[in-house]
Amino acid sequence: MIILAGCSSKSAVSTNGTSGTGVGTGSGVGSGTGAGTSSGQGAGAAVETQNVDQKLSTGTIIGDIFFDFDSSALSDEAQEQLKQNAAWMQSHPFPAVTVEGHCDERGTDEYNIALGERRAEAARNYLVTLGVKSNRLTAVSFGEEKPFDPGHNEEAWAKNRRDHFVTK
Amino acid sequence: MRSTRISFTALFTLLLVMFVMPLTLKAEEAGEYIAIRKEGASRIAIVLDNLAASGGKQSEWAKSLDNTIKRGLDFTGLFNLMPAPLNIRNSQNGTLNLTTIASVGGDMYAGGSVTNKMGKPVLEMHVSDVSGKPLLDRTYSGEEARLRDMGLRFCADLVELLTGKRSVFGSRIVFVSNRTGYKEIYMCDFDGENVVQLTSSRSISLTPSVSSDGKYLAWTDYTSGKPDLHIRNLATGANASVGKQGVSISPAWRPGTNTCATTLSFEGNQNIYLIRADGSVERRLTSGGEINVSPTFSPDGSKMAFVSTRQGGPQIFVLDMGSGQARRLTYSGSYNTQPSWSPAGDKILYSSMQKSGEINIFTVSIDGSGLLQLTSGAKNNEYPSWSPDGSMIVFSSNRDGKRKLYVMNADGTNQRPLLRMEGEQQQPSWSVSK
Repeated sequence: MIILAGCSSKSAVSTNGTSGTGVGTGSGVGSGTGAGTSSGQGAGAAVETQNVDQKLSTGTIIGDIFFDFDSSALSDEAQEQLKQNAAWMQSHPFPAVTVEGHCDERGTDEYNIALGERRAEAARNYLVTLGVKSNRLTAVSFGEEKPFDPGHNEEAWAKNRRDHFVTK
Repeated sequence: MRSTRISFTALFTLLLVMFVMPLTLKAEEAGEYIAIRKEGASRIAIVLDNLAASGGKQSEWAKSLDNTIKRGLDFTGLFNLMPAPLNIRNSQNGTLNLTTIASVGGDMYAGGSVTNKMGKPVLEMHVSDVSGKPLLDRTYSGEEARLRDMGLRFCADLVELLTGKRSVFGSRIVFVSNRTGYKEIYMCDFDGENVVQLTSSRSISLTPSVSSDGKYLAWTDYTSGKPDLHIRNLATGANASVGKQGVSISPAWRPGTNTCATTLSFEGNQNIYLIRADGSVERRLTSGGEINVSPTFSPDGSKMAFVSTRQGGPQIFVLDMGSGQARRLTYSGSYNTQPSWSPAGDKILYSSMQKSGEINIFTVSIDGSGLLQLTSGAKNNEYPSWSPDGSMIVFSSNRDGKRKLYVMNADGTNQRPLLRMEGEQQQPSWSVSK
C-alpha cells in the first residue's frame, strides 16, 4: 500500500494514514491491520510522502479536504483540492483510491459514521464528475473512530473533519 | 426532580397496595407501612443482618452471600442499608428483638441463615417490618457455583415484593471497550460483574444490541475494511453478516421478533431497513436522501423512533410501523440523537448536544411533553439505555476523563460508575436476563 498525502494552500494537515488513538487499524481497505503502519499521532503540519512504487513520482499530491461541523458540503477550497486530486488520478491511471470520510469527536458515534460516509461520497461523486472512473474509487466511513489529532479543541476538530485519500 | 420523587413514593405505595402478595402482608398494612416512613424519605431503611452460619463451609458461603445481598440491594437505589444494632438479639434466648430496628431508624429487617445440605448451600431468608410482621420467608438452594445467583434471587424477590418488579437482577449489559487496544464487544452482569469479551475481531467493533429474547447479538465491525453488520446466535455461536455495499450500522431488535432494524446505504441513501437474523433484508422502513440512523422500538414493536436529518440537524422522529407515517418528536435543541424507548412504552431517552458543547441525557414522553434533563455539568453523557424493568439507565460519560460506563436511577438520581475496567468503555445496551 502506498499512501500519498499533501496539502492544499492553507490546510497543511496530513499523516501517513493511521490514527493517533491507538485503537485504529491500518486504514487501507484490505491492507491488513495494525502492524506495519506507523502512528500518525499528533498530526502536525508536516507533509509526509511515502514513495514505495517507482511508477509514482515523488511529490505527487492527493490532499485531504476539510468540512464544517455536521456538514458534508464541499467548500470552494475542498473543490479546488479535489480538482488537483482528479488531475493527479488522471495522470496516474493505475492506482485505485479509497476515500475515507472522518468526523471530529463531537456528536454521537453512529451518527458520525453516517456523516463520514456522506463526506466520502461527496468527494467520490465530485471526482467522478471531474472524469475519474468510478470503479477506481471506494468510499469508506470511519466516523470519529480514527481522529488525526487526538486533541479536544476546535484546532484538532477542524483537522479531524476530513476526507483522507488512500491509494492502493 | 422533586415531583418525580413524590410521584415515585406515591407509585410505590400504590404498588404495595395493589400487588397480591403470597405472604402475610395485607394491603391495608402495606399502606400503613408506607405512611409511617419518615417525611420526604425516598429510600427504605432496611436493617441487613449478617447471615448466621455454624462455621466451616457455611460461614464462607454466608460471608459471600452477605456481600452479594448487600451490594445487590444497594445497586437498586431503593434502600438505605443499615447494619444490625448490637442488641438485636435477646442475650438470653437469641430471639430477634425488633424494637431495636425502630430505635436505629429502620423500616424493615432482613436476615437469615446458611446451612450445608450434602455439600450444597441452603439460604433461608426472613424479612419483617418493625412490628415483627413477616413480609417474606423464603429458602434458596442450589449448587455452590450458583451462590451469587441465590443471593441475587433473594434481592429480586424482595424488590418484587416491594415494587411489583424484579428490578435489574439477572439482566445483562453489552458494551464496547478498547481494553485490548482494539474496540471489541463485551458483556457483563447488571452490576458490572462477570465481564466477558464477545468479539476478537481486532478491528473496530461498535453498537452491540441483544434481541428481546436474549438469543441474538447484532453489532458492526470493520473486519471487511468498512462498517458491516454481524449477527451471532449467542446459544450456538453461529454468525451471519449483512454483505451489502456501504455502511451497516446501529442495529436495534424489534421486540418479539427475530428481526432487527439497521441503517444500510447500499441503495445510495442512508435508510433504516428491517433485516432477519440470517442477515437478509426484509424491507426498507424509511425513505429520503438524508441521514436516518439509531432505531429503537416501542415494547410492542408497533412503532420505531430514530434519528433523521430530514428537517435539518439530527432530530428524533417516530415511525408508525403499520402506516409508515413518521412524525417529529424532539424540538428543543439542534442536535438530538441516540433514542432509547422505555420498557413501559411511555418515554424516550436520548442524548442532546447543547450550545455549551456538553452532551446530556434527556427523557421525553411519547407525545413530546414532559421534557426532563437527567445529566448536567459533567461533560459528555451519551448512549443512554433503559434497564429491562425501566428502573435504571446505563450510559457512557467522560466526566472523569476517559469514557466509562455509569448507571443512574430512571429519574437521574444516584449517578455512579458501573464497573472498573481498563481502557475506555462506551455504547452500553441493557438487555434481558440470560
